[in-house]
Amino acid sequence: MKAKIQRIREEALKELETLKSMEELQDLKIRIMGKKGSLTSLLKQMGSLSPEERPQMGQTINAVRGMIEEVWEEKAKKLDKDALVKRLEEERIDISLPGFYLPIGHQHPLSKVIEEIEDIFLGMGFTIAEGPEIETDYYNFEALNLPKDHPARDMQDTFFITEDLLLRTQTSPVQIRTMEKMRPQLPVKIIAPGKVFRNDDDATHSPMFHQVEGLMVDNGVRMSDLKGILLHFSRQMFGESREIRLRPSFFPFTEPSAEVDVSCMLCGGAGCRLCKGTGWIEILGSGMVHPRVLKMGGYDPKEVTGFAFGMGVERIAMLKYGIEDMRLLFDNDVRFLAQF
Amino acid sequence: MRVSMEWLREYLAIDKSPEELAEILTRGGIEVGGVEELNKGSKDVYIGEIKEIEVHPDAEKLQICRVNIGTEELTIVTGANNILAGDKVPVAVPGAVLSDGKEIKTAELRGVMSYGMLCSDKELGIEAVGQDRSKGGILILSADAQVGTKLNDYLGLDNYVLELELYPNRPDCMSMINVAREVGTLMGIKPIVPEWTQADIPPWPEDIRQKVEIENYDLSWRYSALLVEDVVIQNSPLWMQNRLRAAGIRPINNIVDITNYCMLETGQPLHAFDRDKLQGTVKVRLAKNGEKLISLDRIERNLDNEMLVIADDNGPVAIAGVMGGLETEVTAKTTRIFFESAHFSGASIRRTSRRLGLRSESSSRFEKGVDPHGTVTTLQRVAELLLELKAGVPMSFTEKIAYLPPQAKIELSLDRVDDVLGTKYSEQEVVQVLEALTFGYEFRQNRTIAVDIPSYRQDLKIEEDMIEEIARIIGYDRIPTTLPQGSQTQGRRTLEQALRFKLRKALTKAGMDEIVSYSFTKKESDDIWGQAGRNIPLLNPLREELGVMRTSLLPGLLEIAARNTSRRNMDLLLFEIGNVFWPKELPLKTLPEEKLKIAGLAQGGSSRHWLVPQAKFDFFYVKGILSNLAQESGVEFEYSRIKESRYQELLHPGRSAEIFVNGEYLGFMGEIYPQLDEEWGLDRPVLFEIDFAVLFKNNKSTIIVQSYPRFPAIQRDLALVIPEEIPAQNIKNRVFELGGELLKEVEIFDVYQGQPVPQGHKSLALTMRYQSAERTLKDEEINSLNSNILMQIQQEFGAKWRK
Ligand SMILES: [Zn+2]
Repeated sequence: MKAKIQRIREEALKELETLKSMEELQDLKIRIMGKKGSLTSLLKQMGSLSPEERPQMGQTINAVRGMIEEVWEEKAKKLDKDALVKRLEEERIDISLPGFYLPIGHQHPLSKVIEEIEDIFLGMGFTIAEGPEIETDYYNFEALNLPKDHPARDMQDTFFITEDLLLRTQTSPVQIRTMEKMRPQLPVKIIAPGKVFRNDDDATHSPMFHQVEGLMVDNGVRMSDLKGILLHFSRQMFGESREIRLRPSFFPFTEPSAEVDVSCMLCGGAGCRLCKGTGWIEILGSGMVHPRVLKMGGYDPKEVTGFAFGMGVERIAMLKYGIEDMRLLFDNDVRFLAQF
Repeated sequence: MRVSMEWLREYLAIDKSPEELAEILTRGGIEVGGVEELNKGSKDVYIGEIKEIEVHPDAEKLQICRVNIGTEELTIVTGANNILAGDKVPVAVPGAVLSDGKEIKTAELRGVMSYGMLCSDKELGIEAVGQDRSKGGILILSADAQVGTKLNDYLGLDNYVLELELYPNRPDCMSMINVAREVGTLMGIKPIVPEWTQADIPPWPEDIRQKVEIENYDLSWRYSALLVEDVVIQNSPLWMQNRLRAAGIRPINNIVDITNYCMLETGQPLHAFDRDKLQGTVKVRLAKNGEKLISLDRIERNLDNEMLVIADDNGPVAIAGVMGGLETEVTAKTTRIFFESAHFSGASIRRTSRRLGLRSESSSRFEKGVDPHGTVTTLQRVAELLLELKAGVPMSFTEKIAYLPPQAKIELSLDRVDDVLGTKYSEQEVVQVLEALTFGYEFRQNRTIAVDIPSYRQDLKIEEDMIEEIARIIGYDRIPTTLPQGSQTQGRRTLEQALRFKLRKALTKAGMDEIVSYSFTKKESDDIWGQAGRNIPLLNPLREELGVMRTSLLPGLLEIAARNTSRRNMDLLLFEIGNVFWPKELPLKTLPEEKLKIAGLAQGGSSRHWLVPQAKFDFFYVKGILSNLAQESGVEFEYSRIKESRYQELLHPGRSAEIFVNGEYLGFMGEIYPQLDEEWGLDRPVLFEIDFAVLFKNNKSTIIVQSYPRFPAIQRDLALVIPEEIPAQNIKNRVFELGGELLKEVEIFDVYQGQPVPQGHKSLALTMRYQSAERTLKDEEINSLNSNILMQIQQEFGAKWRK
């Protein structure tokens, strides 16, 4: 019997060494330690032994069994690991292949810039106002201190629908519409983005373009506040190191009026091609709301003051994205749009 | 306004370069658009004296000259033959660039070295009066010309011009004297403003034939006239010609040049009539309908009763303030002149000038406003120049004054200045500005100054105008940078703006590119896709193709898609969010309704990928994108076949749908009608256009979280064969109804037509999810529920069950 045990042990160990698959391993376990396994049947034959021999033989069998089991476990682990290694090897993929995704589309650069301007001013407590693209002469001109036959009307080539109805030439009419709606509440703090129209078409003019108007009316609004708001805006829009400067200008609906230059975003002010060597780039027009305009909006110019500004979205988009030809913005070639 | 530096220096000593002066003016609010150097072609040209002339030994037509240019004597070969030894001539030395761009070089001419070039005035690009022999050859200067001096210095041609881009509020700067005042103010130097009182002209004699009358006092406040006799028409002197040319005005003769010169100097437009051609009373009046006048430019003008004219007894002789008539023009034979110096209403002149399509130096000044106080001063200047130039004898003067605006005063509160600007100017600083402006002023109570506004500054009307004046002269850089002090406000988008923002993002997230197109479009395309005959026409469109306000976004999208397709950008997913314009009546009387629309166009398919098959941008792709919009709006879209007959010819009847939200019409979608796409050069694009306001009205922005059941769901699939005309949605809806409260979800996961499905049928696979909030469901109850549903569907729709 002992010899039998020994033989089982040796054969098992030998087999454990050479076998290669989990199936073989399971098979071995059943053949030796299963219900009908060789070692199990030896244990069943123990009845034929003398009582003295029994414990010793039992011990021997259990020892062998324990040992085989230990080796078996190790082999099982090894086989598991081999199988995993093999699987990992087999499941190797070419990670250089492109992933699958639904490509996202592109917002038009103009709406992108408008949104950015909106967000900057929303952050400063302004709300967004809107007005119609077709306007009356009153809102587009008269109420903005531009009576009929005023020479400043020549500054803008107007598209007319009737003598009295026209395509707005500026977003400024929203100033009046907003004041009419809000009076006598204070403060009035809005920006108004939108389309505007002028009868002009060349490399630097489009018959339709976009403006963002700004208006703040309150007790004690000063021109220095306008400067502060616009400095903040310019830095958010064009970079933290930007500076601004104001130049005297003329708009019928502001007094004093100022053209606003921002230090060149390309050269930082040293002078380059973009800024034509001046270090400054004109970005918007502004000023203190003309007392007559406040009055037409329903506010008393003795009680309140205000500032207003207006900027061209196309110009800002061109500066920001380095677009040299304005017509690209209205060409809508998808190869252009895909860059935004 | 072109400002000659040389002229400007007559009034004040400027120690700055033209560029520096340009910067000072621009920072002061008078924008300088450019600085032009004049007479560059005669820049490196010296006055030389011809010492001797000999004929070229090898070329009969050439002459060899020895020319003294002061510093040296040069040998110059010339082909000219109008010169004599001893002549003073312009010599271009090597390096000089003539007006045609030709650079002078040392050159060998038939074996003789030539070190420069003798020039004609034409080659120098100038017009100069030389000795008579100059004609057609070398410019021969007068004998007293200084050898060795630069020609430009000698002729007064060394000059720069500043091109002022004036805003409409500063017409005063269309006068050299007022520009000098402005420069003086900004530079802190006092200009010498000339006063012309020497010419003492007697008043109009009583017995004179011509009387002056103003009929329309509201349109002409003042009419002054000067009568001149013994007129000698000739060229004006070189200095005057040079100044006129620098200002961009062509010299004509001494009389015309004097009127232009004085206008440039004082800003007051003048007109010279040949007095012998005027008949009877000179009258300022409105024209009568049907009256005609041939203006100086030889065009017959039809006048009407809104146009102001100058007329004599025979009818109009000039369009007031715009242009004179040909008949009374000053000619070489003129001996007596009637000079007009008048005030005309800016608005009236502007209207007339527009109506006639005729602009002049005169009208461009009048329409912006001319100082009515300046008419007489300017005539005095005319008289002075007439005498100086020996061009005529000023005989008498008269005028009619209807109205003269009184001396304007502005009360300027120093506190108000600081309140508006955010500054803290000292009293002294403000006073310094007033001194620099040479305005009179007087202190009043409460830190207030009464400022006298001179009549030439018509732009200064209210306190704010003066505040700007103070700010710009002290410099805008002195205004500090602050933030508003008032109450804090919160900025946020309105619900409507927020939804629009979300939808734009949803569309780009779905792969669509946003386009921006014009609000006006071609009538023919808009009639087809929008509201035929209801599009609003423009009176003055840029082009015929941009003639009407759009009533639909689709023509714009189609055009842009067509342009892209023609450039081989075939795969397109485009959208636009923009207004369309629906009139309440036509012709338009009131503002139209502006409706915000969202429209899109899809063509082609997704880019090819190794992993998944290419997706076609077809009906269902677009319907899927619309589902994104529905989801962002918290609603569901319902689709039904298009009933409106108009669209049945624009869209594929089998592949198009009307879209509803909560039963309300939202818009439509569909594949373009066959062959229509070919007209656009497109390939079966799918379009949609929906109304933002309807979507906004129905949107549910609030989210209330639903708890989900803890008990497991049971899933069942159902495959049916149904007649192909039955919409899948009907089956789905009915199944959902029949499933009762336990059936939570039904989805169509497969649709198939073709073998082995019989002809005229389609196979439809549904998946159903049953779930209860209270308990775990049993297989058996679901099985029986499921077979009930199946039975019902079979009965109602003639469907067959596929195993
Ligand atoms: Zn730069």
